[in-house]
Amino acid sequence: MKEITKPAIVLLVITAIAAGLLGVIEDVTSGPIAAKAAATQAAAMQEVFPEATTFEEVTDATLTGTMSSVSIAKDASGADAGYVVTVAPGGFGGAIKTMVGVTADGTVTGISILSLAETPGLGALATEDSFKSQYVGKSGTLAVTKDGGEIVPITSATITSRAVTDGVNEAVAWVVGGAK
Amino acid sequence: MANPMKIIKNGIIDENPTFVQVIGMCPTLAVTSSAINGLGMGVSTAAVLICANIVISLIRNFIPDQVRIPAFVVVIASFVTIVDFVLQAYAPTSLYNALGLYIPLIVVNCIILGRAEAFASKNNAIDSFFDGVGQGIGFTLALCILGLVREFIGAGTAFGIRVLPEAFPQTLVLIMAPGAFFALGVLMAVFNSVKNKKA
Repeated sequence: MKEITKPAIVLLVITAIAAGLLGVIEDVTSGPIAAKAAATQAAAMQEVFPEATTFEEVTDATLTGTMSSVSIAKDASGADAGYVVTVAPGGFGGAIKTMVGVTADGTVTGISILSLAETPGLGALATEDSFKSQYVGKSGTLAVTKDGGEIVPITSATITSRAVTDGVNEAVAWVVGGAK
Repeated sequence: MANPMKIIKNGIIDENPTFVQVIGMCPTLAVTSSAINGLGMGVSTAAVLICANIVISLIRNFIPDQVRIPAFVVVIASFVTIVDFVLQAYAPTSLYNALGLYIPLIVVNCIILGRAEAFASKNNAIDSFFDGVGQGIGFTLALCILGLVREFIGAGTAFGIRVLPEAFPQTLVLIMAPGAFFALGVLMAVFNSVKNKKA
């Protein structure tokens, strides 16, 4: 009996101490972590919608396709300037989480790639400004040059370029379609 | 008590975790697509390794033999979680974004469990600390070199700074998954041939 109870009790003590310690650390760090996540989110939105000053998440929006969240962008006077839509089109190596800023009349103000799993050196170059800046100021349905559009795709990464373009189209279509 | 310098040197050269013991291969192969990733993974692993070694060495006499593995895993996983929380809360966002992906991987890095079992559970806390330092440096160096070689040949950069001109042909396969195996195999052969010549 003793050879079972002793290890069990020791293990219980070790796990209890570890759990207690983790609880304390979690309690201390959860505040700063949440504040940082909010700041990162706000900075990303500011990047895709430079004219807006405040952002408000739309919790009751009807999300279509690969959309995961929508925020209303408001300018300094508090008027609605447009929307920041987060989409996740399927690329070469999985979903490409992209944040797209769109004005109320359907013009793209900027895009930001939040996360991707594309090939390093090829598709992963979608995060470069030289690619992303092509979308700024565009409206309507976009396409890469290979498909007769005006977006110059990343060399040897047409699938990634098409995916990002699809994501932007999705966001624009949602705003133009009534933003509901 | 053994000589600290000898324990550290043992970790870097004689028992280098990557090139000699060939343990912890999963994170080694996965993260070394660039030198900075290798450095980040190496340093975070070293930090957890040193802490875990000390604690396991201190409690080694209380742990009954039958439950030592679960006890070690609890200690290691707790340290990894603490490092994760603290970095997430207080480190610059860019640093956490670069390292965040690798921190959970440290839990399954068998170097840490391997050193707990092979060294810390048999030696005192001071020696275990130096073993952690030595093994940590050895692992970090190995990952840095591997990352540097792959990044240099694969993308023409070193630590993100362009070294070869853009026009120079880049051997992309080196920064993709198969390149990890090629580079590791060649480096391992070079390391051991130099080491054996000296011995």
